[in-house]
Amino acid sequence: MIERWALVSGLKGDLDTYELIQKDLKKTPGNITLFVLGDMIGPEKNCNRLLHRLINPKSNDLQPWCIYGWWEEQILLESGYRGDQRAEALRINKGEEVVKSLTNAVDKSFLDWIAALQFGFVELDCGLIHGSSKDVGENLTLDTPPLTLLDRLTRLQVNRLFTARSKQQFHLELTEGIVNSEVEDLNGNRKKEQKVPQKAVIGIGSGKNYTLYDVGTDNTQFLQAGYKSEKRIMGFGGL
Amino acid sequence: MNQAVISCLHANLPAVEAVLKDIELQGITNITCLGDLVGYGPQPNEVIELIRDKKIPTCQGCWDEDVVDGLDACDCSYPSQLAEKRGHFAHQWTTDKLTKENKDYLANLPYSIRKDKCLFVHGSPNSQHEYLLPDMDAFAALERVENARAEILFCGHTHQPYIRELADGSIAVKIKNAASKDIQEKEIQLPMRRIVNAGSVGEPRHGGTKATYVVHNEVTNEVKIREVEYDLELTCKAIIDAGLPPIFAWRLKNGFEFAEQAEDASHVCER
Ligand SMILES: [Zn+2]
Ligand SMILES: [Zn+2]
Repeated sequence: MIERWALVSGLKGDLDTYELIQKDLKKTPGNITLFVLGDMIGPEKNCNRLLHRLINPKSNDLQPWCIYGWWEEQILLESGYRGDQRAEALRINKGEEVVKSLTNAVDKSFLDWIAALQFGFVELDCGLIHGSSKDVGENLTLDTPPLTLLDRLTRLQVNRLFTARSKQQFHLELTEGIVNSEVEDLNGNRKKEQKVPQKAVIGIGSGKNYTLYDVGTDNTQFLQAGYKSEKRIMGFGGL
Repeated sequence: MNQAVISCLHANLPAVEAVLKDIELQGITNITCLGDLVGYGPQPNEVIELIRDKKIPTCQGCWDEDVVDGLDACDCSYPSQLAEKRGHFAHQWTTDKLTKENKDYLANLPYSIRKDKCLFVHGSPNSQHEYLLPDMDAFAALERVENARAEILFCGHTHQPYIRELADGSIAVKIKNAASKDIQEKEIQLPMRRIVNAGSVGEPRHGGTKATYVVHNEVTNEVKIREVEYDLELTCKAIIDAGLPPIFAWRLKNGFEFAEQAEDASHVCER
């Protein structure tokens, strides 16, 4: 059976979208694992129903595997789960109102569950994270310098990095690269030519926009929840 | 014009004096220090006061940070429990010895110093605790210099001096995005960058016993590693007299490599 990953993020309390995605996935062939890469919560909507559903899936739901995202980090900060720090960056950028909306959107009883979520998963040679391996709030986009992308891949020691924070959907492959290194120390000189191993960074989208990844063929499909399959943009398989 | 860069003095006064003398004899007045003024060695106050006296611009090292923050380096930075115990002991000893004024001085040192195209840091631009080893992944090394917006990155912390040039680099990428069906390809040229590790004045770990530092010619861009002999016996005696672990003296005498370095040098303490 084909092994597929469904990669979802940025639901921000939107249970309807989550149900649409669950429905889509039921019609998708293959053995599917569902990963929710953070931002299950947000300040715009009450998030309790979605959180309850993620923690207690319906009997025919695909089991969701969740990690925390930037908004989860904010509520954990604000609720004292990160020592003395509070969600100051959020407060400064979006104002006190948004901080309040966020804490009001999530019932306190969910905080321990959120606090127990991991920063990311490493599956096979793939890293699944919300932002980057450096910071949950870091945006990796199509325009991020390749050197930075390579560094974030190297930090996790993975060949593919799935990221959500930028909300973009893209599949960027580092196909080729070279750098000449010359080291001089007290033992003399040594030269080395280093090549870029084949690696990729995949932006999975946000909210209704999610990504299907075919583990066997390394093929990505960028999807929108509720759309018929002919509207799907096919990935570039076999790269 | 030449500039001298020194690092990891580690409270070894005879070594610091010998290196400053060597710099003076070459007529160099422009000196930058990359931190770790204290730790392991027996003369923390004397070394700080000498650097302050000479008004040498200095970055904060990992020991300087830990001593003032009342922090011990996390377990991960020691290769064994015994080494960790010794490290903690040296940390406590140094904290007790330092004057309030000298602690304040260490506490207020900057993480980095920038002079034109040169950036000076203790470990790496990311952390005082990150080791930039001479043979680390070339792209990761280049990323450290490039993201710090420098052309030459001067660092210390490994106690092994080296000069690394990263040149003629390029990366090709292939992009597919949701907005278009086309596949885009492009090639990015990478700039030539250098990393210079100044080694260690007071705790060399390059296999020999001499103190090391580097001299950079700002016109020709040439960098030279200097080795300086100093009165080792004087420091070793002071270590024993101070009641510090005798292995610190033994290490200096034998120029033992990697004596207190973590197994996974690329590990960055997340503390
Ligand atoms: Zn040092
Ligand atoms: Zn250090």
